Amino acid sequence: MTALGELREEASGILSRLGRMAGRMAGRLPQPRLPRLSRPRFGSPGQLVLFVAFAVVLGAIAHIVSILAMPALAERNAYARLSEMMESNVLTMLADPTPQQQVLPTMDPAFIAAICLYDLSQAPLKVRVPATADYTSVSFYTSEALAFYALSDQAAGRVIELELMTASQKAALPEDEEITAADRLVIESPTREGIVAVRAFVRERGMRDLVRRQLEAATCAPSN
Amino acid sequence: MRLLPLAFTLLIATILGLGVTWFSVTHSRGLDVVRSGAWEGWPRAGTAKADPYARAAVARSGELPLELADGLIFLATTDDAGNPLDGRCETRIVGILPQARLWTLTLTDQDGNLIPNDAGRSGFTSAEAVYRQDGAIDVRLSPRARAGNWLPTGARPRLKVALRLYDAPFSFTSGAADAAVLPRITREACL
Repeated sequence: MTALGELREEASGILSRLGRMAGRMAGRLPQPRLPRLSRPRFGSPGQLVLFVAFAVVLGAIAHIVSILAMPALAERNAYARLSEMMESNVLTMLADPTPQQQVLPTMDPAFIAAICLYDLSQAPLKVRVPATADYTSVSFYTSEALAFYALSDQAAGRVIELELMTASQKAALPEDEEITAADRLVIESPTREGIVAVRAFVRERGMRDLVRRQLEAATCAPSN
Repeated sequence: MRLLPLAFTLLIATILGLGVTWFSVTHSRGLDVVRSGAWEGWPRAGTAKADPYARAAVARSGELPLELADGLIFLATTDDAGNPLDGRCETRIVGILPQARLWTLTLTDQDGNLIPNDAGRSGFTSAEAVYRQDGAIDVRLSPRARAGNWLPTGARPRLKVALRLYDAPFSFTSGAADAAVLPRITREACL
């Protein structure tokens, strides 16, 4: 009986000593500092107004910066979408928009469109569009899809013939009376790369194939 | 402890600023909007004179906007009373169109996708539409077949109508006041 009592005493002694040791160890560990995730408290109404004003000004800055940066940051703009499916300086017919897919958003389904991505770094570009059965237009865009020139068949006559070049290429043109005659339409591009969109109107749905064939005769090529 | 309110303010400010940016590029195409009833047009959006909001909207959407010398687009997502265009309702577009060499009227869902239908019809051109005696058009947007100029809506909850005027002689140089009068959009009945 006494041996058992002694054993029990011994065990409780060890346990209490272990507990004290653990307590001392824990006391030596650095206390983890949990951040207080409560709503920040503002000292006074004046401080609150200051923070709101600060937030509004910063928000306005974030807004303005993001609006101005959008054209440079947008990865899926018209030029990027089109350059995935066509080469530069070649006129490519676009598929008609269908409910399932459209090459570019907000294209008029009553029109047939052809696109030529241009790159003027080597040579100026020559665009030749014979008039189709109905309204035909040629529009020029920068690589950020901003239009800088447009011409319709009514203004141009039977065949729309245009030459697109950069400012330096235009300055290098020989000053020849015959070359600068009115029948040669020279357009200056503000950027080296961009988009030429040729659109032809389809009056009635039955004429789609006819207009498409007529538009296929249009060309876009480097001029030398 | 002053860092936490500061971080909180910065976070709120960024969310606020980017939220306004997102809203403006998805709901608008620039500041120089021209309104006529429910129609909204942005004559200078997409041209070299476009404001930063128009440039941002064009860059995000990835479209090739119409040059003003070519044509002019007007969009409507509501009727004249301000109700959203609902494809489950019958909507009429009635009126005389401004002078232009030709026009097209296109019906899409709110994301700008054409609505599939058996008739294969997503819009009218000036040559296809049936005109009334007085030269006005009367287009019906309806989920069910209708006589006359019917555009099937496919019972989409939200619709967008695009009216494009090509080679239109009017200009918007003197501001929004002289926007041409465009057809009225009215809701008739809902199913």
